[in-house]
Amino acid sequence: MAAALAHVAWEPCLVDAQRDRALESYARRKLGMPMPNIRYFAPVPWLARAMIDLHPEFGLLRHLDHSDADVIALVVSQENSCRFCHAAIRMMLWAQGLSEARIQRIEQDLSRAELPAKTLAAIAFGRAQSRVGPQGAREARQELRKAGISDEERKEIAFAVGFTDFSNRIHTIAAIPSHSFERMPDQIHVRLLRPLLKRIVQKHRFRGRETPLEAMPSYPYGGLVKAYAGSPIAPVLGRTIEEMWASPHLTRRCKLLMLAVIARGLGCEMCVAELGGALQQEGLDGAAVTQILTHLDAPQLDEIERLLVRFTRETIWYEPAAIQRRARALRDRLSGPQFLEAIGVASLGNGLCRMGAMVMDHP
Amino acid sequence: MISAVVVGAALVLTAILAGLLYREWRRSQDLRAQLQAAASDLEHLQRACSRLAPAGVVQRLVADGVQRDGGPVAERKVATAMFVDLVGFTAMSERLEPAVLVRVLNGYYQRMSDAIDEHRGQVGSYIGDGIVAYFGALQPNPWQCDDAVRAALAMRAAIRDYNAELDREGLPPLAIGIGIHRGLGLAGLVGSNDRREFSFLGSAVNLAARVQALTRVHQVDILVTEALRAELDESFILAPMPAERVKGFAEPIITYTVRGTLADGNEQATMKAL
Repeated sequence: MAAALAHVAWEPCLVDAQRDRALESYARRKLGMPMPNIRYFAPVPWLARAMIDLHPEFGLLRHLDHSDADVIALVVSQENSCRFCHAAIRMMLWAQGLSEARIQRIEQDLSRAELPAKTLAAIAFGRAQSRVGPQGAREARQELRKAGISDEERKEIAFAVGFTDFSNRIHTIAAIPSHSFERMPDQIHVRLLRPLLKRIVQKHRFRGRETPLEAMPSYPYGGLVKAYAGSPIAPVLGRTIEEMWASPHLTRRCKLLMLAVIARGLGCEMCVAELGGALQQEGLDGAAVTQILTHLDAPQLDEIERLLVRFTRETIWYEPAAIQRRARALRDRLSGPQFLEAIGVASLGNGLCRMGAMVMDHP
Repeated sequence: MISAVVVGAALVLTAILAGLLYREWRRSQDLRAQLQAAASDLEHLQRACSRLAPAGVVQRLVADGVQRDGGPVAERKVATAMFVDLVGFTAMSERLEPAVLVRVLNGYYQRMSDAIDEHRGQVGSYIGDGIVAYFGALQPNPWQCDDAVRAALAMRAAIRDYNAELDREGLPPLAIGIGIHRGLGLAGLVGSNDRREFSFLGSAVNLAARVQALTRVHQVDILVTEALRAELDESFILAPMPAERVKGFAEPIITYTVRGTLADGNEQATMKAL
C-alpha cells in the first residue's frame, strides 16, 4: 500500500529485537494496540519509553486537531523518507477511515487533497521546520500567524513535527523493517477488522489537559521544556530529556557533543551557545569546543566521542540507505546499548533543535 | 422443515460471505500487483532522474512536486565549488578507440563521483572531461571546506588505484587537476523550460575554475584558495604557491596545494620530507 516510499532503498535491520513484556504491556495499555517496534529499542529504556510517551495524540495535544497531527506526521515522514513511520501513519489514517485515494492525494499533491487552508499552513510550517531547520523558523512563523493559527497551536505543531523527526530518525538509522505495516491494509483480515481498529484508535486517543510543570528544569534544552509550561507536553518532554541525560551507556559529555554538533549543523547559534557552556562545565575549554564544532575533531576527544561526533553530523540531512550503511560501520565499533543510545541521542537532538527554533524563535 | 430452511439459509449466507471474501481477496491481489508495478516504475524513474541530477535535488523535486516555475526556490548562500579536470585528455582521446575511451572516461567519472558523494558533495555537471561539484549548496553544511578537501584527497587516491587498473590493461594513466574555492553564490535549478540543472552560480564558482587551471601552472593536482584555507582544519598539510593573476580578478590569487592530512601515516612521512 505504501507505494509513495516504495522506491526508497532500505538496508537490512541493524538491531536485534528483544522482548520486554513490561514495556510492551505499557505500550498496549497506553496506545490500545501492540507496538512491536519498541522491542528493537528495549535495551535502552528511556528511548523505548520516549517512543510511547511522546506520541502527541495520546493526551499531549490541547489545541491541534488529531487528524491534522496525523497528516503533518505523514508529510514529514515522507519528507524524511522514513519508510517505517510513513507506513505506520498511513496505516493509522487508513484505519480511521481515510480512503486510499485521499491519502495518495495528500502524498502527491497537497493542493488536490481537499484540506482546509489552516491545515495546509500547518503542513507547510512542519515541512519548513523539518527541512530547513532554524533558518526557516521566522518566515514559517509569520505564515502560520497569517493563517490564523494561535501561538499555543503553533507550539503543538512544532512538537508534533519534532516528535516525527525523532521517530523518523530512530527507525531509519536502525533500518527497522517496514514491510509488516506496508502490507497490513492489503491483508483481508485487517480489512475486515478496520472498523474495530478505528474504534480502538478513537478510544485511546484523548485530548490533553492543562498540566503544571512542577520542577523547573536546569539541564540543556530545559528552556524548551519551560516554553511548554502548562501543556501536558512539558512534563513528558522534561522526563524524556532527564532520562536521556541519566542513561549510563554514553557519557554526558559525549551526549552534549552530539547535541552540539546537530545545533551547529542546523545553524542554531543559541543552542550551540547553551550546549557549548554545558561542555565547558564538563571540562572542555572554549577553544576545544570551537575546534570540535568547527572541524569535528580535536585531540581531547576519546575514541567513542570521535566516532559519534562524526556520525552525528550525518543524521542532520541524510538519505536512508547511506545513513544505514554508515550506522552499520558504527555498530561494529560500539556495544549494543551504546549503539542504540547513540541513535536515540542523535534522533532526539534533531527533534529538539528543530523544535526549539520554532518554539523559542531561535535565530 | 424449519430446520431445513434454517440450514439452507445458513448455507446461502455462507456462500454469499465466501463469495464476498473471495471478491475482496481478488481485489486486494489486483491492487497489490498494481502497486508493485507502480512502485517499480517509480524506482526506475528515480534511478533515471538521479543520473541527471544530484539525488538530493531529485528528492526535493519529488517532495515539492515538479513545478512549472522551476521547482525548489533558488537561494543565495555560501558554498564551496570544486572544479576537476582530466589532464592530457585531448591527446589521449586521439590515441584511443572511441569505445575504450568512453569506458575509461566512465570509470573515471564513477570514481570521482563516488568520492564526492562520500564526502557530502553534489556533482553539479560534467563539462567535457571536467566535473563541477558543490559542497553545502543543497543543504547547509558548516563543514563544507573540510569535506571538499577530503573529497579531493579521496579523488587523488581513487585515481592512483584506477591508474594501476589501467596499467594492467596497457592503457595510459590519468592525471587530474582540482581547484576549490568557497564563497557566496546563487544555488538552485537553472535552465530553460525544457531542461534545468542544479547549479551554483557566481564569481566564487568562476574563481574555482580559474584555480583549477592554475594546477597546470604550478604542476600540482589539488589547489585551494586563501579563503578556503582559512576555514580548513589544521590537520591538513598545505604548501603555499606563488600568487598568480587570473582572468576576471583584479588581484593576484594566492593558492595552496594540499599534500595530505596529519592523520594519514603516509602523509606524515610526506610532511617530514617537505
